[in-house]
Amino acid sequence: MNRFPSLRSVLYCCAAATAIALAIPVNPASSIHQRAVDRPSYGAVPAMSSAVQPVVNGGLANNSTPATPGQPGAAQQPGTPQQPGTANGTQNATANEPIGPESWGYTNRKTSKLRIRVIDGRTHAPLPGAEVVLIETEQRFTTDSNGYTPWFDAPIFRNPKYRPMVAELHGQLGVIAYKNGYRDSIHLGIRMHENIRQQATVWMYKIGPGDRRIEPVLYQEPYHHLWLIQLADKFRQRSQIGEGPERP
Amino acid sequence: MKRSRLRSAVLTLSFVVTLLGVLSVPKVQAAQTIWNTSEPSVIRVAIRENNPSGEPDPRGRIVYVQSVPFIQYCEDVLPNEWMPSWRPEALKAGAMAVKMFAWYHHLHPVTVDGFTFDVDNTTNFQTFQYMSDQPTTDAAFNAIRNIAFAMPNGEIIELNYRAGIENDPNWQYRNAQKMAQWGTQYWAERGQTYTQILQFYYQGRSLLRIQ
Repeated sequence: MNRFPSLRSVLYCCAAATAIALAIPVNPASSIHQRAVDRPSYGAVPAMSSAVQPVVNGGLANNSTPATPGQPGAAQQPGTPQQPGTANGTQNATANEPIGPESWGYTNRKTSKLRIRVIDGRTHAPLPGAEVVLIETEQRFTTDSNGYTPWFDAPIFRNPKYRPMVAELHGQLGVIAYKNGYRDSIHLGIRMHENIRQQATVWMYKIGPGDRRIEPVLYQEPYHHLWLIQLADKFRQRSQIGEGPERP
Repeated sequence: MKRSRLRSAVLTLSFVVTLLGVLSVPKVQAAQTIWNTSEPSVIRVAIRENNPSGEPDPRGRIVYVQSVPFIQYCEDVLPNEWMPSWRPEALKAGAMAVKMFAWYHHLHPVTVDGFTFDVDNTTNFQTFQYMSDQPTTDAAFNAIRNIAFAMPNGEIIELNYRAGIENDPNWQYRNAQKMAQWGTQYWAERGQTYTQILQFYYQGRSLLRIQ
């Protein structure tokens, strides 16, 4: 009487399964934290990069300590290349390649030179001694007698949510300006481009005797209108003819 | 009898000839050229009210008219119309279009809602943002500082431009005698100078040195 499955076929299957199981590479330290260490932090700001600590003595460093505000120097400066021997540098070339959305090259860390000019919003006179904080990197600068901060490397961040639709033509940054006797000024949406020097003007308003509720002043810089045109054209149907190549 | 008829005929003929001569004199047209007008020193910019999101609204009412130095106006328009990271030749072509557009409208002011102005700060004319100049666009404007792009006789005409589409020569804009902003970058990436770019989109115009 033939039984199915036979004892011999069962033994063969067990042996094959064991061989397959042994062939699978085992990574004893595969965890979310380890994967975070394996993968370079493309586009991550220094303040956030403290969440990804290098491996120390075969284990994870203590990453529970939050980033210390006002000490951007403690984290990696933007644009600093990865040094060999560090956690990221020890990975081979394949592991350093971007994964997922990072492979678009959209969030690679890029920097460009930027300086901020701070002026009095009423008189348009330059304001020396104002403190300017770059929000994304927590870098701090002080304006000189002409109201300018020194040139510094600022990251170029583009909003990744628009990448699958229309790539943004410029990145955006935000700064906050402080000066005694003036309202705080928050300036968001500073346009950042690769490979050029750029500057932005922050307007500050003096606190007067009649001011009771003193709150920050917000200035939001809009997207460049060339990109807005591209975004609108992207989703326009053929029946919705707007201004464009059809009617130059 | 014959002599009097002859005399009257001669007089009539001379009168007709004189009349035709008077009528055939060309009208005196005061064409505004770069030779009989100087580059504006100040331009009047109508500031339109912002929409609820804080952006200047092209259909918003005019809040006030701001007098801005002409050079500063051009420098504060260019980074908001062209991308400051584009090629220098594309920026120079854009700087020329911005300048000649503003110059033309300075010579043709309009009055709306009681405000007399040359341009406004929206895309009705050119997007203007006070003190938004950038080093690259300033350099492009300085490069074309003493040059004008006008008709061969120097007449100042409006240089119109539109956005166009990316990575395309935008031939249809050439046919419409408007410059495509994306087209300037397209040609600059292919080694064209700003003069060649301007001559591609605007035909029958000349590059003239401002006296």
